[in-house]
Amino acid sequence: MKILGISGHYHDSAAALVIDGLPVAAVQEERLSRRKNDAAFPIAAVEFCLDHAGLSPDDLDAVIFYERPTLKFDRVLTTLLQGYPRSWRSYPKAMKNMLGEKLWVRGLIASELGIPTRNVRCIEHHQSHAAAAFLTAPTQEAAILTADGVGEWATLTVGRGAKNADGSTEITLLRELRFPHSLGLFYSAVTSYLGFAVNEGEYKVMGLASYGQPTWLYEMRRLLRPAGDGAFMLDMDYFDFQGRVESGFSDRFVDLFGPPRRSWQPIDLTSDEGRRYADIAASAQRLLEEVMVGIATDLQRETGLSDLCLGGGVALNGVANGRILNEAGFKRLFVPSAPGDAGCALGAALYADRVLFERPHRAVPDHPFWGPQPDDAQLLRIAAEDRLTVARTDDSSLVEQVADALARDQIVGWVEGALEFGPRALGHRSILAAPHDAAMRDRLNRDIKYREEFRPFAPVVAAEHADLFFDLPSGGARLSRFMSGVFPVRPEWRERLAAVTHVDGTARVQVLDRDMAPRLHALLEAYGRRSGIPVLLNTSFNLAGEPIVNNVAEAYSTFRRCGIDLLVAGNVSVTKARDAAAPSLEMVA
Amino acid sequence: MGTESLRENPPGGTGTKSPPQPRFMADPIGILLRPLHHLIWSNPQRRARKLLEFAEVEASGGRDLVRAAELTPDPLLRARYLHHARDEARHADMFRAQGRALRGSLNDGESGGLARWAAPGEQGMDGLDLAHETDADLLAFLHLSESAAARDFARYARATRGDAATSGLFRRILRDEDHHMRYTHAELVRVAPGGTRRRLWWARLRRLWKAYLRFATALAGLIAGVVLTLQYFLLLPPFAWAAKRAARRERPGWVDVGQGRRR
Repeated sequence: MKILGISGHYHDSAAALVIDGLPVAAVQEERLSRRKNDAAFPIAAVEFCLDHAGLSPDDLDAVIFYERPTLKFDRVLTTLLQGYPRSWRSYPKAMKNMLGEKLWVRGLIASELGIPTRNVRCIEHHQSHAAAAFLTAPTQEAAILTADGVGEWATLTVGRGAKNADGSTEITLLRELRFPHSLGLFYSAVTSYLGFAVNEGEYKVMGLASYGQPTWLYEMRRLLRPAGDGAFMLDMDYFDFQGRVESGFSDRFVDLFGPPRRSWQPIDLTSDEGRRYADIAASAQRLLEEVMVGIATDLQRETGLSDLCLGGGVALNGVANGRILNEAGFKRLFVPSAPGDAGCALGAALYADRVLFERPHRAVPDHPFWGPQPDDAQLLRIAAEDRLTVARTDDSSLVEQVADALARDQIVGWVEGALEFGPRALGHRSILAAPHDAAMRDRLNRDIKYREEFRPFAPVVAAEHADLFFDLPSGGARLSRFMSGVFPVRPEWRERLAAVTHVDGTARVQVLDRDMAPRLHALLEAYGRRSGIPVLLNTSFNLAGEPIVNNVAEAYSTFRRCGIDLLVAGNVSVTKARDAAAPSLEMVA
Repeated sequence: MGTESLRENPPGGTGTKSPPQPRFMADPIGILLRPLHHLIWSNPQRRARKLLEFAEVEASGGRDLVRAAELTPDPLLRARYLHHARDEARHADMFRAQGRALRGSLNDGESGGLARWAAPGEQGMDGLDLAHETDADLLAFLHLSESAAARDFARYARATRGDAATSGLFRRILRDEDHHMRYTHAELVRVAPGGTRRRLWWARLRRLWKAYLRFATALAGLIAGVVLTLQYFLLLPPFAWAAKRAARRERPGWVDVGQGRRR
């Protein structure tokens, strides 16, 4: 059975193809359109998936959209009515938005793909999240917790899933919290208050939080209070999701916390104002962790299960994930490589296969590499045309050459195999560097990533050595497979891992099994032989404001525009040294 | 090679007729627009906001040029596009720095209120589907965009004479735009010899069509906004009353899935 899953129209559009119960291809639209967080209908991603499998749209048995537009419209209209007459500005915008195309998504998909509308079905947003988390995880039975901003009505759900011995699959969502009571929207409002872009800057709040103290926790608890049954509720006096859609916080929020940061204001952590922002971030982060740990703990007690599958955008909060693993009573915590809306494309397709069409369960390969493959011959050609020093070498020589470069403090652009599905670079589209010196972090921030100083860089470590350098709890290595948990760097290594150790002594580490990315694993080992520490700094291969690179032409243009010293794609490596024999086109240009 | 020397020796300039230089020509439209420009640029808050908007447009244009560099099979064009993209990124930084400096001195709030008002040359690549553009068509389009940008920046430089820093910024960027205008024309002549005029006219028509689409979309949006606002106030009050009444009955906290669903 051939099933295409699609997510889109809000943020992070994506498509995923499942054939006979297994993923074949999955990619976010932004990686192909080159527009960061592209929310448009993912036509390029659909084309990639179909081309990759050699299919035409007619060959598809079903196309599954990741949420129900009519339910979403119901929520939008109802909340606008409840906000009358304050919602008068939002109403025309929301109606144009919904009635323009979002409400007619089945027809839109059918029209774009040229297939009958009856072949297009929709499932609920949080069912997609739950399926993405549970059906991709190597577990037979698990509790499920999903949390994000909002889907149709639900903002957070708890449930359980089982892959039965007879091949059947059950995903049962037990309870849900409904809009406007949303952990994701709470965090987004704080993100906006701190002057960062919503759906983009939440990482920054988490990074900034480490520099502060939760001195505003008492005030935060006025915003988000217990509902009396183990859930929580937002005090809507402090939020305004109707009148101020972009910011989400009200005047009372400002009265409570003081003036918001303007997006263009730099954050000076040595100033009182900078510390206030950091303290507010720390307080919001602490509260989010407490709520997530509380709900997860209740869920563990209720189900008695040892595994938890976590989905939704909130699952990208690695600090909260680390605390859930440590404190909620679960032995293992699974977060997929794409827990956000993009991952819903895969979740929707898998849900349809297992639940709607009742196909037998099959174990999904435990890796995130479902995107396009690079063509290293293209790099060979482009670099030669530009008179750069380029070489093709065998695997082992290449790994040794790159390890040498890293040991000389060079920065390496690393392109290998299929593109990752999800927001993290997990070793196939990465910028790698030595992790030892804080100066390297500053150099990356200054010459390559052009981003705020308070944002940390992540390490990647070979699984065999992870416990030596990082204080991983039981289940921590699993959670770190897709860089989903933040854990302490062991104190004795912090100085020698300064570029990847955050101000609070933690790191969002990727623990790499040899099977997942053998060549990167070999590189870690080779680097370890030189430095004594088989750990590298691993950050996504992109520049500020751009999506992670997909093909070698994009990797090459990124390499040319920033301070990367060595670019490796497949078995081809390029340095910025010129071939002295010929004049460069750069000189002509 | 730096930008200064490029300006003195336009690339590919040998044997190539230089394109027109709008900023030195009589500018009747500029004269007509002068009161509008004065209105917009005389207010420091609007000035800051416009500069920050320009920063975004330049940054976006730079990303589009990078994309063009990634897609072109022509190595010389790749080098030129990357060079151009670096210029755009630098312009974005300059606009951003000046906009922030102005805002910092004003203690201004976030942007909003004044509708986006971008001149034709400031639309970046105007939503072009770069993957499906030929180099010649893209160069023609770029040439016209750069020409329009050069013309507009010259007008803005005049309109901001009272603010030496902002006016100087426009003049500095104007020099780069002038260079971009020249190289795109020279490259167009190289990659489409004999078809330059036709390509430029085709690009002009496409720009016109896109301007019409923008206008039509904005007009349709305006009409829809008016109709929906009228609908909101005339038809919705009873439904709003019912929705509020229903909301009062809802209790926060967990809802069992499948129980009390709104579907």
